[in-house]
Amino acid sequence: MNASQFLLFAIGGLANAAYLFIVAAGLSLVFGALRVINMAHGSLYMIAAFVCVVVANTLGATLGFWGGLVAAVLVAGAVGALIEIVVLRRVYRQEHLVQLLGTYALTLIIAGLVRIVFGPDYRTMKAPGLFTGSVQLAGHSYALYSFFMIGAAIVIAAGVYLMLYRTALGRNIRAAVSDPELLNASGINVARLFTTVFVIGAALAALGGVIVAPSQAVGLTMDTDILVLAFAISVIGGLGSIVGSVVGALIVGEVISFGLANSYTNQFALAFVFIIMAVVLVIRPWGLFGAAEQ
Amino acid sequence: MIAVLRIARDARVRWTLAGLLVLFAVAVPPLAGLYEMSNPDASAKFYIFLGTEALVLALWAVSYNLMLGYAGMVSFAHAAYYGIGAYTVALLFQDFHTPVLLGLVAAPVATAAIGLLTGIVALRAVRLYFSLLTLAISQLVYSIAFNAYGFTGGDNGIHNIVIPDALSDYTTMYYFVGAVVAVCLVLMFLLTRSPFGAALLAIKENRERARSIGINVRAYELAVFTISAMFAGVAGGLYAIYQQQAFPEMMYWTANAQPVVVALLGGIGAFLGPAFGAFVYTELSNLLSSNFPNQFDVLLGAIVLVVVLIVPGGFASLPNLFTSLRSRFRHETAESEVESSGESIAHADLGKVVRIEAIQAEPLAVERGEPLLVVEGLYRSFGGLRAVQDVNLTVHAGDRHAIIGPNGAGKSTLFNLITGRLKPDAGRVTFAGRNITGKPPHAIARAGIGRAFQITMIFPRLTVLQNLQYAILAHRGYTARPFGFADGMFRDEAMELLEAVGLDRYADLAAGQLSHGDQRAIELAISLALGSRLVLLDEPTAGMSAFETQKAMELVRRVAQEKHLTLLFCEHDMEVVFGTARTVTVMHMGHVLTEGTPDEVRGNPEVKKVYLGELEEAAV
Repeated sequence: MNASQFLLFAIGGLANAAYLFIVAAGLSLVFGALRVINMAHGSLYMIAAFVCVVVANTLGATLGFWGGLVAAVLVAGAVGALIEIVVLRRVYRQEHLVQLLGTYALTLIIAGLVRIVFGPDYRTMKAPGLFTGSVQLAGHSYALYSFFMIGAAIVIAAGVYLMLYRTALGRNIRAAVSDPELLNASGINVARLFTTVFVIGAALAALGGVIVAPSQAVGLTMDTDILVLAFAISVIGGLGSIVGSVVGALIVGEVISFGLANSYTNQFALAFVFIIMAVVLVIRPWGLFGAAEQ
Repeated sequence: MIAVLRIARDARVRWTLAGLLVLFAVAVPPLAGLYEMSNPDASAKFYIFLGTEALVLALWAVSYNLMLGYAGMVSFAHAAYYGIGAYTVALLFQDFHTPVLLGLVAAPVATAAIGLLTGIVALRAVRLYFSLLTLAISQLVYSIAFNAYGFTGGDNGIHNIVIPDALSDYTTMYYFVGAVVAVCLVLMFLLTRSPFGAALLAIKENRERARSIGINVRAYELAVFTISAMFAGVAGGLYAIYQQQAFPEMMYWTANAQPVVVALLGGIGAFLGPAFGAFVYTELSNLLSSNFPNQFDVLLGAIVLVVVLIVPGGFASLPNLFTSLRSRFRHETAESEVESSGESIAHADLGKVVRIEAIQAEPLAVERGEPLLVVEGLYRSFGGLRAVQDVNLTVHAGDRHAIIGPNGAGKSTLFNLITGRLKPDAGRVTFAGRNITGKPPHAIARAGIGRAFQITMIFPRLTVLQNLQYAILAHRGYTARPFGFADGMFRDEAMELLEAVGLDRYADLAAGQLSHGDQRAIELAISLALGSRLVLLDEPTAGMSAFETQKAMELVRRVAQEKHLTLLFCEHDMEVVFGTARTVTVMHMGHVLTEGTPDEVRGNPEVKKVYLGELEEAAV
């Protein structure tokens, strides 16, 4: 592998890391504040991708993409609020077995509903006008959309950071992450905070789904495919840590990209991800950037 | 008395239901034949095939429930073992032309081996992280099966497995599968009733307590993980035989939904619950997918959600739900709300306690009056807080040694360091001449240190009697036994002990239903039942009335004296301390302030200052 090939796969890995980070950050944020692993996170991502594709194919590439983005975030946010209020509130205090199974039931329901509403076929959409086409760089051709994905992830990462460290909401979320019991005693409306956090998590899943939609076929297996990767990233980086999501997404994105790069390892690119996940869990169960639970 | 009758009735109902289920399973082929005769559109073969599917699913789900229902473990790797079982049969047939029946024997061997190896990795983590590790393992197995075309046939899987002619008939196949499933179910049933199964239940109920009665939690979890992988291998092997194929989607992590849903539907608390669930599920999914092919997932998800949120016990708990609804309707007090008086300890028969042989400290090579427990230079901090600093302490055999000190003096931390719940930063703990520093809690419990916790640590959903029986089982090293009937073992000893502490009336109630004071009494009884040479009591009388306190401490004192136990306890109630202890150590801010006889300590000006300081702080 020479330098220009290396660059090709490295940028491909960054583009993977971009949408993976956006989705995993939502999962991690929800776990950090609510202490619930949301199995339906991938379902929200899938809903958003389908909504975006439908809107985009109705309104045309550029207007459709941005309109689809807004529509997808609104729909996923509303579904998220519904899930939090109807289901999650009843399982917060229960053992994690009940939480896993309850949100798992939601993935079945959503998967079924998505198939009823959108049908079983794969769908595709075009990238927004400004980002179609490709550029030549050191002898290889790169899709412009990859750079858009990377840029979007950086903007979203900055947004999440500012939200967490520069706003009152962020302060409350961080309080919830570090000391849930203190939060109850502090006079904050915990129920509303939890709903807000969950809706933000759902919106991140939706953004991930929208951003990935022009780069791959949108189909019914998206929910579980992304969920295992989001788990892997959150576990590697540390559940509840946003910095961890960034690092985890970079590791997973690059491993997949370079794993697929040659014929010896391309069959096992995903297997490498799960080996890394298992090794991290064994050595540091709370992840590279997570805090050990007492 | 009511409770006893109820349990007997429950048992009768369960055995009747189990009998009906077996009868139904046996009658499936003739019933299907009758149905075909009465309804020309129906196909008997189809229903017999469906029945075979239900049998295999029953085995798979019951094996999953060994982990879920008995040990409280959520695994995402169970479908992987099921798949490996199927692939073992398929690959042996394809590559070596091994007869499928031989493959069926090899399948559980393969899955047990792989289950053991992967279980060692997965059990490095606990609870949620364990579940996520099993997910990684499962996806690893899946991606190998999916991608290794040369070895597993990749995404095509392996088809056209040839089965012996004898099995080509649907009915014969059904009874063959049924026989294998029945043997496996009986084996698993015996396992759940054995002392080994008792240890699993104890772990599920309260890991910490399980450790402190001497159960090596990880080893048991690994054992049950391996055993359920083994039975999943049998189920997978049967699948490969009756379906004549194996394919990678069997192993995808979402495939675990099937055994989980089936176990939930049937009820994870009853052994045959998942088997019952398997028949319901198979018929339900057949009806739903033929009538509502598109809405199947939604309906299935909705059912699971309702079960999880509203009837967590599954169908097996419906009779209970019915009883509680009926009693609510009739404005009766639900039986589950029956509480004990909380004054059992007041009925304790001291003379009887002393005569009981179950409480008998094991002989150790330490003479009375010699040092039994020696703590040297022990340190432990939490972040910046130094909870225990340079603590030196010697407890002599046969002594009744109290540790006192204001809140935050480090007493509970010291206890946790001695019993292995926490690891010290520095220092050494020696018990009966053996270095036990940093050993795991179960090993320390087995070495002869018993413990009653400050917060009540019992097995809440086990009966009061089981609480004691299982403690005795664990302590005497029976829990590794995969055979025998745990609830029939040490019944008399446990009952005698319960009578002695005044709890016999509540023997068959779930321990969690008892009032706080009585739960403390169970806690005490457990720590005494262990026959430990040294018993650590962390505020043994917290929450008891003055009269109960007096009675409880009298009991502890008498037992310690007659049975040659050594006591180390901490307590806030000074009357208790000075009435019971012969040696008193005073701790303050993580240090040992002073040590001496009760009279010496009472007269010590420094001690007065420490307690006075606390009083002043309290007044502010």
